[in-house]
Amino acid sequence: MKDPIVFKEPIGGPFAPPQGNKKILGPLQRLQTRMQRFADHEVVDYCIVGLGAGGGVLLQRLAKAGFRVVGLDAGPFWDSERDWVSDEKGSHKLYWNDLRITGGEDPLTFGENNSGKGVGGSTVHWAAFAPRFHPSDFRVRTEDGVAADWPISYWDLKPYYELLEREIPVAGPAYFPWGDPHGYPYGPHPMGGVGNVLMKGCTKLGIGVCAGGPVAINSGSRGDRPHCIYRGFCIQGCKVGAKASTLITHIPEAIRYGAEVRELSMAFRISMRNPRWTDGVFYYDRDGREHFQRAKAVIIAAYSVETPRLLLNSACPGHERGLANASGTVGRFLMAQAGNVLLGRFAEPIRMYKAPPAHAMSEHFYETDPKRDFVRGFAIQTVGPLPIAFARQMIKAKDAWGWGMRRVMMDYNHWAALGVLGEILPWPDNRITLAEEKDQYGIPVAKAHFTLHENDKRLTRFAVEKVKEVLYAAGAEEVVEESRYAHLVGAARMGHDPAESVVDRFGRTHEVHNLFIADGSVLPTQGSANPGLTIMCLAARTADYLIAQGTRIFDSEKRDWTPPPIRKDLAVKGAFTTGIPRLF
Amino acid sequence: MTNTESETKNWIRDAKTRAPLAPKKQPGYYPGYQVMSQKAFWDAATRKVVEDRLYRVPPIRFFTPEELPTIQAVVDRILPQDDRLPESKIPILNYIDERLFEGRIDGYRFEDMPPDREAYRLGIQAIEETARAMTGRGFTELDPLKQDEVLQTIHDGKPVAAHRIWRQMPIRRFWELLVGDCVSAYYAHPWAWDEIGFGGPAYPRAYMRLENGLPEPWEVEEQRYEWLAPVDSLSDVDEPATTARQGAGGQKETH
Repeated sequence: MKDPIVFKEPIGGPFAPPQGNKKILGPLQRLQTRMQRFADHEVVDYCIVGLGAGGGVLLQRLAKAGFRVVGLDAGPFWDSERDWVSDEKGSHKLYWNDLRITGGEDPLTFGENNSGKGVGGSTVHWAAFAPRFHPSDFRVRTEDGVAADWPISYWDLKPYYELLEREIPVAGPAYFPWGDPHGYPYGPHPMGGVGNVLMKGCTKLGIGVCAGGPVAINSGSRGDRPHCIYRGFCIQGCKVGAKASTLITHIPEAIRYGAEVRELSMAFRISMRNPRWTDGVFYYDRDGREHFQRAKAVIIAAYSVETPRLLLNSACPGHERGLANASGTVGRFLMAQAGNVLLGRFAEPIRMYKAPPAHAMSEHFYETDPKRDFVRGFAIQTVGPLPIAFARQMIKAKDAWGWGMRRVMMDYNHWAALGVLGEILPWPDNRITLAEEKDQYGIPVAKAHFTLHENDKRLTRFAVEKVKEVLYAAGAEEVVEESRYAHLVGAARMGHDPAESVVDRFGRTHEVHNLFIADGSVLPTQGSANPGLTIMCLAARTADYLIAQGTRIFDSEKRDWTPPPIRKDLAVKGAFTTGIPRLF
Repeated sequence: MTNTESETKNWIRDAKTRAPLAPKKQPGYYPGYQVMSQKAFWDAATRKVVEDRLYRVPPIRFFTPEELPTIQAVVDRILPQDDRLPESKIPILNYIDERLFEGRIDGYRFEDMPPDREAYRLGIQAIEETARAMTGRGFTELDPLKQDEVLQTIHDGKPVAAHRIWRQMPIRRFWELLVGDCVSAYYAHPWAWDEIGFGGPAYPRAYMRLENGLPEPWEVEEQRYEWLAPVDSLSDVDEPATTARQGAGGQKETH
């Protein structure tokens, strides 16, 4: 065998981070603007708790519309060159690792599985699959007789899908055939080994499949963000700046328009001036000191565990069961998607660590099929576990340990992993409550209870068998499975009826006039689509509503149900000037 | 050079000749592949994190001197490294100890599990009790095969002793915690990446050959050899598992 060509040194010496810039968001992005600083006693217009998919978009929209707005995030304001690494173990700090108790018959795992901590939230470590929900997802009660209908329809959200797909932007095929068919502003990505397996298996079985997206990763450079370099460390934080996170898509513009990002600030109670009006947020700073940020209105965007936890921890006279929880719905209808991973071993090498984990998918089985013994459906998506994640999967999937684990891992390059993304229905007993234990701040931690119901189990079984067939059809010699769950939504759902939901169709809590929720926790059902894009769209719609309502939000008890005009002029700069021109 | 049987019984064997295969600096199917040869092409933050793993191994601070020999022996069987030369063995226990010492968790704890520190203390105690019940001797006094027999009962979720402890802590959850921590330390190490042919960090240099399992110019082609686990072990996979096994996903399966 010939010796490998080994390049000892790059021309110009080892790579070093750029000097002289305090904030570096990706290798090319710079924040030249000084950030606005509000004092605690200053009354801002909006205080947003949590700067992930929802909070990041709202911060940018409200600042650009001229509001005085502060965003609190429990985690740090990342400097991607300094803080992030191309390394699985070294990326532990990106996740929400504070204690949560998890139980039920099918307990969820948290941390790296679904919870981010830091500015950008979970979009920092999402794999960035960015499909839309289908029109049927908004009418599950009407069409399938289970779960709930949304108080809005797909058509209310469609203009926001089109807008956000350009803003972040999303790369994918010119024609995406499922749900409401549409095309993407950036072309599809090249395929990696796992995507080829999915294409081959699906094609053989006559299952429709989509190559190269939809994924919120640049397939061409755009403005100050380079294109993907296919290094495969998407869920460790994209140092390249190619993968969208609100940290690089919306936060920089929010700061340019005068928003303040207050890092390492852990909100622990929403303050109430009287039972119908909030006047700000109590939080702990990085040194554990208590602060109170006054605000004319508060938006919680802390996601499906921390949002209900904050509401429950804010119980006060008039809200004895937790804030905005007269209905008892806060914390209930928590959902995760069936995320079973099917791993196939192939005779030929795959090297699945290359290319983004998210680069091919199928929504062929997305809709209810009356011929099956369950309602709703699932998607099939590429997954590219790196060595530690793969080894951990093999503990369950192959019961491997000792020499067996060493042997399986020596074959790492021969395996390909496909993920089920299955719709689990919202159930009242799947919920977040408070545990007796307290975290490092002395705040009671969240306790999650999660149990699959009959439809969920049937759907998952069917999906697992289907993906197994796909892997065998692609030539796998052996297929094993790890059952797990992906994403989190629900636990503060939206609806028309205050007796059965927490917020209205614009994200305003039924019980507190100037308190809004703008994250995945408002979703009444979850479809089989990754929720990130939909959360951003809902946040942008809430922002348009707040902007259209103006100061009435701060003092009027009358709720205006007029849908707001879409403010395309508030989209991030460059949304309409780049990309591959396509007709919508 | 010939080796006595006692020296070679922990060695892996050639699948055809059954002859013991001497420990190597770099086991695996990618001879000559060295991920660290690429470090100048990585960003500085990544380079530091990976180099620290090679040169700055954390000291033992959590486990007591009484617990240390047992847990070390356990880890040596959970991920045996008898096919590696002494100087190329990958430190595992130090990283488990570091995590427990610093109180770092993955963001959740199963309702039916004690906190991780307590879980390890109870687990070590249970392994010792199991060893005594099965053999009348302590875990560290046993030969590797007997040690594997003790661990196999925990792997199978079929406790033969320490029932008081397993009532406080579901046995499969402890197993998955322990094995999970071991693989997280081992496969974080650049020598393990050399062993399995993982390309490692690739920023800012990137990958260019995405399809058909092709190696980059600096990676190497696979050179397989067939091997058997040492005679004195139980932990190898016999045959491909064709059906999915359920782990401790649901509590009802673990009691």
